[in-house]
Amino acid sequence: MLADAIRAENFRLWKNRTTLLWSTVFVPVMAVLFGAVGIFVMKASEAKIAADTKMPPEVMELISNTPINLAEAISTNASKMDNPALLLFVLIGAATLYAGDYRWETWRLISARNSRTNLLLGKLVVTALLSLIAMGLMMVAGIIETFIRAAVFERSLTFALTGEMFGHFLSGLALCWLRIVQFTMMGMLAAVATRSLLAALFVPLVVGVAQFFSPQVLSPMGVMPDAWQAILLNPGAAMDALKIAVLSPEGAPPLPDGLVLKSVVSMALWTVVPLAGALAWFNRQDLSKE
Amino acid sequence: MNAVIETRGLTKTYGAVRALDGLDLTIPKGGVYGVLGPNGAGKSTLFRILLGLIRPTEGEATVMGGAVGDVAAMRRMGSMIETPRFPPYMTARMVLRWLALEHGVGGETDIPYWLERVGLTQAADRKVRGFSVGMMQRLGVAASLMSRPELVILDEPTSGMDPPGIQEMRALIRSLAADDGVTVVLASHQLLEVQRVCDRVAILNKGKLVREGLVTDLTADGERLRLIGTPIEKVLGALSVKATRDGEAVLADVKRSEGPALIRALVEQGVDIHEAKWVGTDLEAIFFTETGSVQTPEADHAG
Repeated sequence: MLADAIRAENFRLWKNRTTLLWSTVFVPVMAVLFGAVGIFVMKASEAKIAADTKMPPEVMELISNTPINLAEAISTNASKMDNPALLLFVLIGAATLYAGDYRWETWRLISARNSRTNLLLGKLVVTALLSLIAMGLMMVAGIIETFIRAAVFERSLTFALTGEMFGHFLSGLALCWLRIVQFTMMGMLAAVATRSLLAALFVPLVVGVAQFFSPQVLSPMGVMPDAWQAILLNPGAAMDALKIAVLSPEGAPPLPDGLVLKSVVSMALWTVVPLAGALAWFNRQDLSKE
Repeated sequence: MNAVIETRGLTKTYGAVRALDGLDLTIPKGGVYGVLGPNGAGKSTLFRILLGLIRPTEGEATVMGGAVGDVAAMRRMGSMIETPRFPPYMTARMVLRWLALEHGVGGETDIPYWLERVGLTQAADRKVRGFSVGMMQRLGVAASLMSRPELVILDEPTSGMDPPGIQEMRALIRSLAADDGVTVVLASHQLLEVQRVCDRVAILNKGKLVREGLVTDLTADGERLRLIGTPIEKVLGALSVKATRDGEAVLADVKRSEGPALIRALVEQGVDIHEAKWVGTDLEAIFFTETGSVQTPEADHAG
């Protein structure tokens, strides 16, 4: 039963406090600390910045009198949740979930009494939950940072939530979640193929870096950034295009024709192929050699 | 015969090595069934196939009436193969809770019961990373029983245990079969242990079944009369009875039906008989005969 696999995997995750701490709590805590330091540094150099930019005192006063909209800050942060730091540390948790049974030789305890597909999908669901927790804590970190900014710069806080903001919040969050889960699925495939925790962690990272640099490699070959090959090879670019299409941020350039379709196909492929590959491989795997 | 495990022509090859070679085996429901064999005989391969960890190259196997991999049938079985390992950050209690969830069975109440039954109550809340091999074995056995299976497969269940632990495990295995109605299939290299605990055994060698049957039937073959008396060897020789010395006793090769006549003849010849009893061939002797293994202390305890 898939429900049994999810319950058991979830139980195991919550008992593995070290993994839970590193993959969900560490980055948000660091974000608050570094964010606070940044705010204090900015406050300390406020006068110098004003002098350097030759900002009129009236403008300075206007800025300091404008309340910070917490709802807007949360909505903006939601679309930045797939940042590399959070991704890296969520991958630590995902690698532990996907490769743990190879590492601790525990497949033999569980594989006879449930289908292999259920066991792997159970891990995927719990990894998605782990990602969501990490994103939630990151959002809390963003809220704390906003409070600190308001306190340090002596600005008031408001919570003016518009329907558009809420829509951006949900869609930004969903896209970032998909991107993180997509990365962890590469970890799943690597874990199954290599039975190694390190591979489950580093293969997605290496693939991510390669994707990032793919435009520099493809460009001299005459492949335009919005061409099918470029988008299919770089789901990161596909994700950026989808964010622009969905969130339509200020100042963003108009998207070339067909880019949204290419991006959707790219995202779908990078989601389905690692999952299908991992399931197919795992279902035929010799689990006596953990 | 109501079989819990059946294999037909089961074959597993690893390159040129045939770990299992057309194995036909039927394990009946009820009692304790031992699977014996020297290293490389195919015991572990057989268990791995039955648990669905590996696929056979040829042939088929059924467990609890369903093909291997049939989750409904497999859920009626528990298992512990090789030295079990667990996530090191968990306590024994957590391990059982996790496996109960994974297997979709058992409430919290079953956990103390099984911990007590394998003698781990005191260590229930200790992290398993500090467990000895024997404790891991006990926890592995508890884990295999959490779902209250009808069939349990145990690979070397007493490995790494101290003598009191072995005795406790032996009692547990017997009680599972006798009181809980569980069919226990176990593999062990400790032949005396198997003889004491199993009702039936199969001896594998080079991937094939070489002997199978009730322990009492197997050990009854080659039965001999063990005699302690004075003077005895010369008289037995005079009566043309083949005998071998066994410490202070002699083992006379006679049929059971000839026993009373032999004892009468010895008494008539003036032999004082202090003790006379029938002894069977022990499982160890059968094992070494059937497998052609060389009997060494190392072989007896090899993993």
